[in-house]
Amino acid sequence: MPGPTLFFSTLMSDEAKSIARGLQKRDPDLLDRLIEQYQYRLFRYLVYISGNKERAEDFFQETWIRVLERGHQYDGKSKFEAWLFAIARHLVIDWQRSKKPQSLDSLTDPEQDHPLQVANENEPSPLHRVLTREREENVQFSLETIPAIYREVLVLRFQEELQIEEMAGVLSIPVSTVKSRLYRGLNALRGALQGGPA
Amino acid sequence: MTAELHARAEQLIAQERIEAISRAEREWLSAHLQECARCTELARQTDQALRSMHTAAIPFPSGLGSRTQFRVRLRAQELREREPRHRLMWITCGLSWALGVATAPYVWRIFEWVGQHTGAPKILLQLSFGLWWAIPALIAGAVMLIENARQANASGWQEQDR
Repeated sequence: MPGPTLFFSTLMSDEAKSIARGLQKRDPDLLDRLIEQYQYRLFRYLVYISGNKERAEDFFQETWIRVLERGHQYDGKSKFEAWLFAIARHLVIDWQRSKKPQSLDSLTDPEQDHPLQVANENEPSPLHRVLTREREENVQFSLETIPAIYREVLVLRFQEELQIEEMAGVLSIPVSTVKSRLYRGLNALRGALQGGPA
Repeated sequence: MTAELHARAEQLIAQERIEAISRAEREWLSAHLQECARCTELARQTDQALRSMHTAAIPFPSGLGSRTQFRVRLRAQELREREPRHRLMWITCGLSWALGVATAPYVWRIFEWVGQHTGAPKILLQLSFGLWWAIPALIAGAVMLIENARQANASGWQEQDR
């Protein structure tokens, strides 16, 4: 049934283009609307990848400032949220790099000894503090034990419902790597749920 | 049941949720799940985990949205105020470049005249002439660097807050 699919994809692409036009003009009303529309999803994503609620608040504000400043770079060809998450992610990685001088590759390569562990400073498990406060389900707690690099793909896929191709754009990695991280992440989540090693 | 069958079922359970599986694979998995309590439990746990992730509640801090909107509006205003200055700078650079091109033969004659009177080597004259041409670009570059440094200072929230 291509009819409704085509209709919705045209509708989405029209919306993305209208966002792109508004961002080119730095339309403040559009930005207000976007902040309201995406605030929960962006904040949740930032909490999961930064592992700290207070820091996520800072990243949240800075992400929107970047959206304003670099809005002209969004062409409306991809989903706005994918571009938004990519900006947020780069901010977190930049901050992480400024804290720990390592190459970006070593931070993002899951095969390395130190995969993206943005929350791993001297503090005792910051995500734990965030999640224990709001722990309603065992799964959220289990997510804490999963390496951030896998937690991130799980969040993008199963919370934010991004397509694998969109995730590849956000993470700047090949589709095949996204898939392999998803499999490992899902395995790790199941392991964590069963109380085994992630 | 062999370990390979369980491993295949486990792989298909994950694959079905991440990408897609073929009809034949789905039929095989469904038949396997009817017979295997362990894999059925795994599929149930996986679904439950993903469902819970989907509905995970992380409360949004009150006031963060409006604080952000306020900051974004302030920054937008700042950028709008800077725009005419930037435009003026680019127009000035363009004009100075155009004038440079138009007056190049005369300026070169002046350089030659200075060279004849001071006895400066030709290479020095050529370098000076090149530098004279590059001055607008150098000024524009310097202004942009200063501007960027100012922007970085303005958004130095990360260092201040931590």
